[in-house]
Amino acid sequence: MARFLLRRLIFAILLIVIVSSGALFLTRLAPGDVTANLGAFAPPEEVARIRARFDLDRSAAAQWGGWALRAIRFDFGDSFLYNRPVGGLIQRAAGNTAVLAVAALSLATLLGIPLGIISGSRRGVAPMLIRGASLVCLSIPPLLTSLLLVFAASRTGWLPAGGMTSVNAVDAGWSSWVLDVVRHLPLPAIALALPIAATFERLQSQSMAETIHQPFVVAALARGVTWRRLVIGHAWRASLRSMCAIYGLAIGALLSGSFVVEYITAWPGLGRLMYEALRARDIYLVAGCSAMGGVFLALGSLVADLLLFAADPRVREGQSA
Amino acid sequence: MKKTGRALLIAIVLVAAGAPLLAPNPPDRQFTQYLFAPPTHVRLLDGGLTAPYFFPLRIVNRLERRFEEDENRPIPIQWFGNGHLLSVSEGEDAPLLLLGADSYGRDIFSRLLYGARASLGLAALATLAAMIFGAALGGIAGYAGGAIDELFSRLSDFVLVLPATYVVLALRAVMPLVLPAQTVFLLLAGIFALVGWPVVARGVRGIIASEREQEYVAAGRAAGAGSLRLLTKHLLPAAKGYLTTQATLLLPAFILAEATLSYVGLGFPDTVPTWGTMLHDASNVAMLGEAPWMLAPAAAIFLVVLAVNLLVQGSGRSPVQLEP
Amino acid sequence: MKRRLLGSVVTAAILLGGVVFWRSTTAPELVNGVATPAATRGGQLVGSIRAVPRSFNRIVAREQTTELLSFLTQGRLVRINRSTFDLEPWLAESWEASPDGLTFTLHLRPGVTWSDGAPFTSGDVLFTLQAVFDPKSESVVANQLTVAGKPIAATAPDDHTIVLTYPAPSGPGLRLLDALAIMPKHKLEGALAAGTFAKSWDSATPPSDMVGTGPFLLREYIPGQRIVLDRNPRYWRKATDGTQLPYLDRIVLQVVPDQDAELLRLQSGDLDLTQSELRPDDYVAARRAEDQGRLKVLELGVGPDADAFWFRLKAEAWKNDPRFAFVSKPEFRRAISHAVDREAFAENVFLGAGVPIWGPITPGNRIWFSPNVLRYPHDVNKAKEILKGIGLEDRNANGIVEDAGGNEARFTVITQRGIGWYERGTTELRNRLAQVGIALEIAPIDNGALIKRLLSSDYEAIYYRPLLTDLDPAGNMDVWMSSGSGHFWNLPGPKGPGLPVEKPATEWEARIDMLMAEQASTIDPERRKAIFNDVQRIFAENLPALYFVAPRIYYAHNARVRGVTPSVQRPPALWSADTIAVSGAP
Repeated sequence: MARFLLRRLIFAILLIVIVSSGALFLTRLAPGDVTANLGAFAPPEEVARIRARFDLDRSAAAQWGGWALRAIRFDFGDSFLYNRPVGGLIQRAAGNTAVLAVAALSLATLLGIPLGIISGSRRGVAPMLIRGASLVCLSIPPLLTSLLLVFAASRTGWLPAGGMTSVNAVDAGWSSWVLDVVRHLPLPAIALALPIAATFERLQSQSMAETIHQPFVVAALARGVTWRRLVIGHAWRASLRSMCAIYGLAIGALLSGSFVVEYITAWPGLGRLMYEALRARDIYLVAGCSAMGGVFLALGSLVADLLLFAADPRVREGQSA
Repeated sequence: MKKTGRALLIAIVLVAAGAPLLAPNPPDRQFTQYLFAPPTHVRLLDGGLTAPYFFPLRIVNRLERRFEEDENRPIPIQWFGNGHLLSVSEGEDAPLLLLGADSYGRDIFSRLLYGARASLGLAALATLAAMIFGAALGGIAGYAGGAIDELFSRLSDFVLVLPATYVVLALRAVMPLVLPAQTVFLLLAGIFALVGWPVVARGVRGIIASEREQEYVAAGRAAGAGSLRLLTKHLLPAAKGYLTTQATLLLPAFILAEATLSYVGLGFPDTVPTWGTMLHDASNVAMLGEAPWMLAPAAAIFLVVLAVNLLVQGSGRSPVQLEP
Repeated sequence: MKRRLLGSVVTAAILLGGVVFWRSTTAPELVNGVATPAATRGGQLVGSIRAVPRSFNRIVAREQTTELLSFLTQGRLVRINRSTFDLEPWLAESWEASPDGLTFTLHLRPGVTWSDGAPFTSGDVLFTLQAVFDPKSESVVANQLTVAGKPIAATAPDDHTIVLTYPAPSGPGLRLLDALAIMPKHKLEGALAAGTFAKSWDSATPPSDMVGTGPFLLREYIPGQRIVLDRNPRYWRKATDGTQLPYLDRIVLQVVPDQDAELLRLQSGDLDLTQSELRPDDYVAARRAEDQGRLKVLELGVGPDADAFWFRLKAEAWKNDPRFAFVSKPEFRRAISHAVDREAFAENVFLGAGVPIWGPITPGNRIWFSPNVLRYPHDVNKAKEILKGIGLEDRNANGIVEDAGGNEARFTVITQRGIGWYERGTTELRNRLAQVGIALEIAPIDNGALIKRLLSSDYEAIYYRPLLTDLDPAGNMDVWMSSGSGHFWNLPGPKGPGLPVEKPATEWEARIDMLMAEQASTIDPERRKAIFNDVQRIFAENLPALYFVAPRIYYAHNARVRGVTPSVQRPPALWSADTIAVSGAP
């Protein structure tokens, strides 16, 4: 177990370092730099000053070296766009994305798994409808879902059409802030969750259908176990294995910030921040966002592996050998 | 379901290929009197299906986008005239706008059809490149085994972990932001192929690695066949089924990637009709209520993705990538 | 059982669809109450900005948001009313001018305090001027307070009097002071002394440090999200009926990164005011919302700026390109002016919301606009004749005219991509000019690249909107003067010791130089107007840049907002935030 965790840790660190360094170099190599944001009328002294501030006057390798050394001490540099240290910006954006990811994942799980169980263990109209709905949800990408939802929200006024908090939450206490965020969550969360819920449903359904035909199920039926108990108690557990692997992937993808959904619904998360940083060539912010993305990815695969561990005794046996 | 999916996909490809024939208007022709015009109300009452007609629109108030039909001048719609399936005769300046016009007065329906060519073409090219690259690398890794295989697995594992949308976004964003359309086409195809090959390669590697142990391979080697010949003539064809399924999965993913990039302004320039740039035109969500027909490319993308999902139903593959 | 399930699912779906449809067509709750009298105190207003500025110091920063904030939190000695263009007393309640117009004695309003309670005195004015002219401050307003190359000098005989001495007669006179936001000496003198004034009040400064004499004070700001301003309880101004201004309790400025999102938020009621005017494309959505009682759409009249089309007229940049021989002739540009149908241009490019113009000053600039300039009626044949007259004919019947040496009139026009009226405008231009044989190829590029190429004179032709920063022509000397850094059709080369002084490229530009210098130093407004009319006339005859249509400005705000005095200049509503109120408050 310890060896496993150690390997995971090394993998995570490697991932974060490579991803953020890669992003740093990419941004450095890109045409134009952060001073383009000053507009064309900026005095040359100011341009030179900004370039020096972001180490753009040193070579790419030297810049990376300086950045890496500071990063070890958790100093990720400054952002030009926001004129603040990158660390704080990333923290807040990552938090927002995490909130969205958790909401979307919960929604997807609550929708997808039960529906998958139903459609995999029964016959008739309900499974057909569920299958059809899944297919449709799989086929509408979040880009389109979020556009449609924002449009519907703005026309009906039921839910806020974007953003994470409304303006009236300025003075509000903690509880009303939470309520406000909860009102803004459904739009991006639904847009993100639908395809994932559909994937969960499909996989759970397939897995369920396979498990139903296993000998132990027939044996249990013969023993007199009720169908419901069988489905929920036994068959489902056995079908968990493939679910866990996908779950890990889903976590990682979500946590890296669903870029398009955040863009369209103006959710102030990591995806949106990264996009702005890339466009503005705000080099340290890009590196910071990528590093955070790497952290989430590593976390995602770790959680997936742990889930697998917990769910499947076969894996556990294998590990301790 | 598979049949429906296949039929739908083939239909879309045919429509895209036949765009010059099916589109009543050139995609970049701006009808300055028809900015934001609603879809043409085609009337069948007097002529029936063989002689449909419509009334041209007259502007009442441009700013308020109000048009009215000029009922004194019915314009007949011709079948198979001027080399188009449906068109109006040459001299007429009133266009047939089956899905209305955009903010420059361009026919949305025609742009949709031509856009299919661009979007599908790009996706097809990228898929082909990803296939070739992935099959080659995966095949070599699977066949060679050992250190090469190990290295390859590490590399592709790493790339696979990265969220594709971000890699594509980052790679595109670090290129010059404004490029001519042909350059964008090749650039995007390259970027997509770069992000897509590990998916292919992984599967191919697995198949090759297991096929490698088969008897016929040992027999071939004994008969004196070289590694290259073994790979190309015997092992890779074993992966054919996998490759075809994977190709169908990559296609909608790449279409979506192009749509995402163009929507945020990093894809094709606005003048080029692709499904992504058309969505970009529709990005003023507040105006969608006035002109819902501008979401036509969304419907088109949905159809393609649905077709592919129907096609791969029950083949055991996970449907379109989880990438949000 | 199955049938029942199917039936109930279908019914539910139909019901849901019906509800959504119904909700989208029912007008939402109307703002409660009929229009109350404007003096309703209290309430909160939500506006939009593009970004939290990097610096809150108006003396140092050029950003639009910084300027907006200076309207909200700072005061000036005198103010130009952006609706009537009159000069109004502000922190200075009265003044006298010396007979020679060089000395002004201003009497400051008594009893004015800064938002932290410190008294406002002439010392603050002196300090601000000192900061402006200190080279280490890198002030962006120094140029506007310079007359004939020398700074305005100031002395303070006592705490409530300021004597300004102008180095030369100045046409605008005290109107120059509209750009000078008075800064608090007690908060910033340390920075000025230490030489860090240029970096003062950046986005790490605590809001309580940034005191002002304006109607609001900064309460908090979060980069990327919002700025919150509260009422300044020590604001000096009262309404005509004696009510203490401002009416509003709070203003929140939300960061909304693009105009599409802004419109959406305005429609749904998230925003009360936007920072930009309505685009012609958005008009119909705003009108729809107005019909439902949610918004109010204002027609502000013609805007003061317009899009221009010009060729690079810098001879050295063309090098040996033979096309410059005919591009440099005013007849060439006159022919183009004839070739464009301005009515159709307004219809096609601005959806009808525009008026034809023939020069850079539009009817929106009420005080300075001169209608008596040469007009070029739409006449394709006349255009062709004029081109023929300078040797341009279509000799080889390919639809494009060329000169005797076979050089075709074919040009690449750069413009900013993504802006609807630029793209429609260039298309319209291309179509019209094709009729007289001039071929244009449009190349939309992004704004940064465009400005770079403009500044380095690396283009053939360009379609863009050169912003005249000031309605008063004396504030735009950099555009009119041949040596000015904003003389956009022929930007001057580098200046410095040892480099030759550039002379005006043409005789008419030399004449404009002379006239502009004269009007800037003439005090009599009638005489100034007459001189500037001359300048406009010369411009319209020689056409260094072609103007076609000036857009009408529309602005929409939430129906609950009252007391908006709209202006065609930005910020359209918040320049006079102290008189804005909201009905149905908190």
